[in-house]
Amino acid sequence: MKFLALLALAAFATACAPVAPYQRAFLARDDMALDGNPGYMRAIEKTYSAKEAASGGAAVGGGGCGCN
Amino acid sequence: MAATKGESSALAQLAQAALALPILALPVKAGAAEVGEIGFTLLGYKERGLMKITEPVLWGRAQFLESWEVQASAAIDIISGASPRLVTNASGKPVQTLTGASVEDRRNTSDVKLTKHFGDFSLAGSMAYSDEQDYNSKAFGIEGRLDVNQRNTTLIAGFGSSKDHVGSTDDPTLDKPRDTKEYLVGVTQVLSPTALVSSTIAWARGEGYYNDPYKLTFTFFPTGGPLLVPDVRPDHRNTVAWLTRFRNHVPSLKGTLQADYRYYSDDWGIRAHTLEVIDERWSIRPALRYYTQGAADFYSPTVTRPPATVHSSDQRLSAFGGLSPSLRVILRVDDRLTVEGTLGYVQNAANFHLGGSGNEAFETLRAGYGLIGVTYAF
Repeated sequence: MKFLALLALAAFATACAPVAPYQRAFLARDDMALDGNPGYMRAIEKTYSAKEAASGGAAVGGGGCGCN
Repeated sequence: MAATKGESSALAQLAQAALALPILALPVKAGAAEVGEIGFTLLGYKERGLMKITEPVLWGRAQFLESWEVQASAAIDIISGASPRLVTNASGKPVQTLTGASVEDRRNTSDVKLTKHFGDFSLAGSMAYSDEQDYNSKAFGIEGRLDVNQRNTTLIAGFGSSKDHVGSTDDPTLDKPRDTKEYLVGVTQVLSPTALVSSTIAWARGEGYYNDPYKLTFTFFPTGGPLLVPDVRPDHRNTVAWLTRFRNHVPSLKGTLQADYRYYSDDWGIRAHTLEVIDERWSIRPALRYYTQGAADFYSPTVTRPPATVHSSDQRLSAFGGLSPSLRVILRVDDRLTVEGTLGYVQNAANFHLGGSGNEAFETLRAGYGLIGVTYAF
């Protein structure tokens, strides 16, 4: 499982033709961002993680909570 | 459709800004010479018959001295309502029993992240703090990013550590540690002028106190007396979360498809899948999130006689699934001011579990939430 995941990650880096800097206007749009509005993300992630067993995957170093 | 040098001036400005930025830098808006943003978000969340949460969040992020970036946020969770406490089969089948008195709690939390850019490499350090009546958490993280392949590929590696302390309002003497180490690797790849994908894997190794001091299981047997046992979980938890995010903008539709998928696995026996698909178009963002998880090895709504060494009847560790549709409306007042609102609904139920029914004892959770937010760019 972990090996497959690492293999898939490595494949991303080699499978695509480079996109020139002047072609990146659309990539810089707000709605292309991976993490979006920090206030929204923070509030919504807590809402789900308090009721589900799974969490994480995007970053490290976040604080925990005693979720009711 | 690819943007070219000959397009409108706003688009050209945007492209020039994108030139100077790594893939995941601050979002850039055409026509605004911004170096930062400050925002306020207010969440209201209400479960039917259970908890109510109000959470104001203040956040900001900015670039300074050309190569530095800072991001910080502070929030307060104001929690009230009834919390499931006891699972008992006194009525014939196992059901949750709520606390008699209303639970009141307040959680103060804050975090800060500082990033320094060294050309194609950036290094970030972060700290997070969270404090409530019966739980305290301090965490830090370090993350490196390297842009390669003419900045079409970003490699990510990170390490994090958190030290938590678990207490209980029922037992003021309870003060148990829980320590977690996290490791993350990932890559973000530009696929085309309108598409990118990011995939990250995070491993966490946790040790310490994982019991929920408020949860109890009260089981009646056909013969003999009933048993009342506390929640007892393993003293370690090793997790893997693999998150893949895809973004594809369709210029002709002025819309962007956002799709996130996470696979989660831990050594408690839980396997979970989360899929969220968002279609952001004309500043309206309908989203649908689906979640499904299997049960922890030690979950059961009833206890055995004699009781197992580890056991929990907490239904968050059972097999169930969840569906959550939401609608977000974003109004860009001008180049600097953005106002947004979101309405969402959450339903977790046993029959939403992927591949067959989940645990029968799972009691359906229905909740609604609303978010309003204001962002000012400067």
